[in-house]
Amino acid sequence: MLKIIIPTIMLMPLTWLSKKNMIWINTTTYSLLISLISLSLLNQPSNNSLNFSLMFFSDPLSAPLLVLTTWLLPLMLMASQHHLSKEPLTRKKLYITMLTMLQTFLIMTFTATELISFYILFEATLVPTLIIITRWGNQTERLNAGLYFLFYTLMGSLPLLVALISIQNLTGSLNFLLIQYWNQALPDSWSNIFLWLACMMAFMVKMPLYGLHLWLPKAHVEAPIAGSMVLAAILLKLGGYGMLRITTMLNPQTSFMAYPFLMLSLWGMIMTSSICLRQTDLKSLIAYSSVSHMALVIVAVLIQTPWSYMGATALMIAHGLTSSMLFCLANSNYERTHSRTMILARGLQTLLPLMAAWWLLASLTNLALPPSINLIGELFVVMSSFSWSNITIILMGANITITALYSLYMLITTQRGKYTHHINSIKPSFTRENALMALHMTPLLLLSLNPKIILGFTY
Amino acid sequence: MNPLIFTTILMTVLLGTMIVMMSSHWLMIWIGFEMNLLAIIPILMKKYNPRTMEASTKYFLTQATASMLLMMAIIINLMHSGQWTITKVFNPTASIIMTSALAMKLGLTPFHFWVPEVTQGISLTSGLILLTWQKLAPMSILYQISPSINLNILLTMAVLSILVGGWGGLNQTQLRKIMAYSSIAHMGWMTAVLVYSPTLTMLNMLIYIMMTLTMFMLFIQSSSTTTLSLSHTWNKTPLTTTLILITLLSMGGLPPLSGFMPKWMIIQELTKNSSIILPTLMAIMALLNLYFYMRLTYSTSLTMFPSTNNMKMKWQFETKQITLLPPLIVMSSLLLPLTPMLSILD
Repeated sequence: MLKIIIPTIMLMPLTWLSKKNMIWINTTTYSLLISLISLSLLNQPSNNSLNFSLMFFSDPLSAPLLVLTTWLLPLMLMASQHHLSKEPLTRKKLYITMLTMLQTFLIMTFTATELISFYILFEATLVPTLIIITRWGNQTERLNAGLYFLFYTLMGSLPLLVALISIQNLTGSLNFLLIQYWNQALPDSWSNIFLWLACMMAFMVKMPLYGLHLWLPKAHVEAPIAGSMVLAAILLKLGGYGMLRITTMLNPQTSFMAYPFLMLSLWGMIMTSSICLRQTDLKSLIAYSSVSHMALVIVAVLIQTPWSYMGATALMIAHGLTSSMLFCLANSNYERTHSRTMILARGLQTLLPLMAAWWLLASLTNLALPPSINLIGELFVVMSSFSWSNITIILMGANITITALYSLYMLITTQRGKYTHHINSIKPSFTRENALMALHMTPLLLLSLNPKIILGFTY
Repeated sequence: MNPLIFTTILMTVLLGTMIVMMSSHWLMIWIGFEMNLLAIIPILMKKYNPRTMEASTKYFLTQATASMLLMMAIIINLMHSGQWTITKVFNPTASIIMTSALAMKLGLTPFHFWVPEVTQGISLTSGLILLTWQKLAPMSILYQISPSINLNILLTMAVLSILVGGWGGLNQTQLRKIMAYSSIAHMGWMTAVLVYSPTLTMLNMLIYIMMTLTMFMLFIQSSSTTTLSLSHTWNKTPLTTTLILITLLSMGGLPPLSGFMPKWMIIQELTKNSSIILPTLMAIMALLNLYFYMRLTYSTSLTMFPSTNNMKMKWQFETKQITLLPPLIVMSSLLLPLTPMLSILD
């Protein structure tokens, strides 16, 4: 594991010592190389996890998320080049340092064995993200967004710390490798119900669950592009990953404790999808679409069947790539018109046809078109929730329909139709932007050829 | 002040605290407290104006009352045990009175009212001494009598202090008052774990002193006493803004900075002793503290406060070189990975 962590930490001296014309080249190149190293983790020969040391391990669940994290850093760096071009050199280096620090913490979080170490790193990812959102966001609302983000997450996760420590007192160790063999049923009592709540609320806030999702549209909209990308693609998946890990310890309370959250998620996914249909702000639309997809993941994790876990994992990876790509596309609009309003930059297909192709692919994967991995994820979740309770098919079907509706609405509003007269002087697409979209789309399309690497540990 | 006299007075302050920490006779401890109190009054009044006079008077009155209560508790202890040695306190009444007296000296709720007002009235350096050095002596006595302290009173005072420290600081823009409320909250954390593991109290005291020293020195370096003047540091020394950000986040107890270590250890110790609701409540109330630290970082580091070009040059008579600052900053932010070393304390 150190072969990934140490190079990522060393990206920080690399940025500070690079010359002015080499910072982007150096950091992007080396982060791409680091992502190649992490690809080797996808080879999981046995059903067991790959244990590198007492502190780090990699598992068919964490390996795809790790590959996604390391793949995303060069993409974030490429996407940030334009809006940072006018900043002084020190601030560019600070920004890249924040991204690298965040990356280090994320890599360590996904591979941590000890749950308290996972917790500390989980919280540690908040600090660079907060700095990125608040310092480099574009509107005054970013201050409020940073506060909402920090405090919602902290309020949820402080009970998690207490719960983890009390579990450590009960079982003697929080090392995940041990816990999967030591697992005993939690006795049924009021305090264990609170223990369940304390463990899960942190991840529910992070996912986010429908009632606690208020921080997400604020944070996603106000963050700069790299912030939005990392928030949508990885930080939400931290919640899903944490839930998948910790539910193994929380039986049998999950069978009845999960009901309120299942109801909130099932209803919330319809609600947030419907809100997407009425959004004028493009980034806000993508943010609410994230909430809707993550609600599916919550449903999948709480049902706790092998197929639903496969669906949750696939959906997390697929949504990470798709959402990040949509944010990049929205950012390419924002950089040209400096507005996030959708109708201000419509009919772009006439002006930027290649970008329209990327928009089309992104929208199609967002609405889970076969044979993309988005479809595999959603299909598995729908099937397993149908077997859990037949009635959920109505809500799930409605959600798929509304998702298709808003994805196509977004596509048609921004791409089709007559363009507005004031955008006929926008700059054509940069090669960097096309490369960015290609690098997002290629893994997504290639994974549909071999989806079993992202299906997680129940495959 | 004449340097010789200043040195003598400073040495008396140090000597007073040393006598308190190292004596085994209750009377000597009381004498140490009085020496400390009398000698620090001139330090608090380094600038001679009505504001410092008022602050010093308030400090003197509260501390003298606390010393008298301490004396009463010592006498009751003497009556019940027949000896002056500092061991456990032999009578519950004496224990309660002693705990109240020491809480008054530390600034725990409900005796916290003097802390913001006194800290605000004095200069930054004197405030530094007040909030760090003066806490050592009462805390050492609490450490020594910790087996016989009434748990209910101590925990009530601790939780109320965390609450008051969080809530009281929310409406402040003056930096010294913010540090005072932060001190009240941290004292609350320290005393909460005193009965369970006094070692953690000392750990928390150490890290708290380091962080408070760092904060005060950063304020002294930019000669800023209000949020407004602190927000001009991006103009003058931009590096200071990053350092203020890191130290404030550490004070708020955010991982991966070292301010998280005492909170984590305290929560662990309390949970091991089967109190679950208490550390959860304490941790959530510490978020109030984090809120006003965040507000401070917003105006200092994370945004650029609008200021005209005239304000770029503040009156700065000589560049202050604070040698101790870099090691302090490193220690107050990067100590968390050293947590396993705490096993040497057992």
